[in-house]
Amino acid sequence: MAKSRRSRRTLTVIVLVVVSLSIISFDLNGRTHSLTSGVKSVANSVYSPLRQGVVDILSPIGNFFAGAVHYGSVQSENAKLRATIGELRARAAEKGFESGQLRQLMALENLPFLQSLPTVTAQTQDENASNFTQTISIDKGRSDGVDVGMPVVGSGGLIGQVIQSFHHTAVVRLITDGESKVGVTFGQGANALVDGQGPGNDLTADLVPPHTPLHKGEVMYTSGLQAASFPMGIPVAAVQTFHTSPGASQVSITVSPQADLSRVAYVDVVLWAPAP
Amino acid sequence: MSSRSVVRIAFVVFVALMVQSAVLVGVRVGVVHPDLLWLLPITAALIGGPEAGALVGFWSGLAFDLVLPTPFGLSALVGCVLGHTVGSVTAAVDQRATWLKPVVALVGSVAADMLFAVLGAILGQQQMVQVDFLDVFGVVGVSSLILVFPVNRLMRWALTAESARRSLVSAQPTDGALW
Repeated sequence: MAKSRRSRRTLTVIVLVVVSLSIISFDLNGRTHSLTSGVKSVANSVYSPLRQGVVDILSPIGNFFAGAVHYGSVQSENAKLRATIGELRARAAEKGFESGQLRQLMALENLPFLQSLPTVTAQTQDENASNFTQTISIDKGRSDGVDVGMPVVGSGGLIGQVIQSFHHTAVVRLITDGESKVGVTFGQGANALVDGQGPGNDLTADLVPPHTPLHKGEVMYTSGLQAASFPMGIPVAAVQTFHTSPGASQVSITVSPQADLSRVAYVDVVLWAPAP
Repeated sequence: MSSRSVVRIAFVVFVALMVQSAVLVGVRVGVVHPDLLWLLPITAALIGGPEAGALVGFWSGLAFDLVLPTPFGLSALVGCVLGHTVGSVTAAVDQRATWLKPVVALVGSVAADMLFAVLGAILGQQQMVQVDFLDVFGVVGVSSLILVFPVNRLMRWALTAESARRSLVSAQPTDGALW
């Protein structure tokens, strides 16, 4: 009896592992990826409004508790006054937040580096859903013309690239993600590859030969070379440090993003698809 | 397993997904946030045994995979292996031991994150091993120590839907009897 239970248990786990591996291979295979992508797209159409609803419900409660904690030391007879002050402060903070958002939107209205490229302005819904990737979710998707591979910019420069596009939402990989690689140009036509190094780490610029003229603060722009993933001329990062080790075949360069990636409430998706 | 249990487990997974995406994602220490996903198979395994852990791990992982940018099916695979392993390893331990839940939550969450990152890298997602693992393990481990108690309560409610009508909740693993 116990043996039969054990073998059933083992069989269940083997079946689940095989099914999981099959799903993963479907997702990673170029020909069957559309299947898993379609499932995710449908799920996101349901999930996004639900999540937004939960956020809308929880935000005021969170604000209330934040206010309560802030004024926790005040005597109980001042509760009413405390609530009023908290409410006023919340409103003031909200105004500050709103004006910050307005500034970001205004900045997006006049991005000089985009020239005549059409864009779609999107609001950030979610940041870094997983601890292992640097991504943001935005509230524009295929129905707005947003597709996989399109560059995403903010005030200051390049933010990332669309890696998943659903019906009404999309996922953007930030340039700080370890998987992000951007071909750039700087100075007198020198080229490099800006490489994301994961959360909290500086980006690096690779493939720069020794003795290439460089200076701190030098801005690197997307190169737009043939078959590039980005149109040319978008500011990507500025040089922070550089040095050449003896015998090294390239300069070790650390760079920091030109766009402020810590505040990406609004972004512009450039309706530009890389050449296939 | 009764349809009632299935519905309750689906509800618990849905609640966990919403809490994770609407609340916990915003609770950051540095760039790391707590992870509720691994606690579902861990608590299911502690209550229902290896088979329950594997099944809950698979389905909850699949639900989370729908909204994560990582490869589809990876969380399901790790959740399934985690649930089965936790259920098997803790089968011989006295389930009433007060240290059991927090210790298993801490070790299980960290191990699951490690497996998740390594499998992701093997599948071509090199960025998944470019994170600061000490930070991730620290935040996820410590938060799991605390979050395991409410999650365990929810999971106990879900898994004992059918037996609750007949008797009080069993403190011992049922060795797959619920399934």
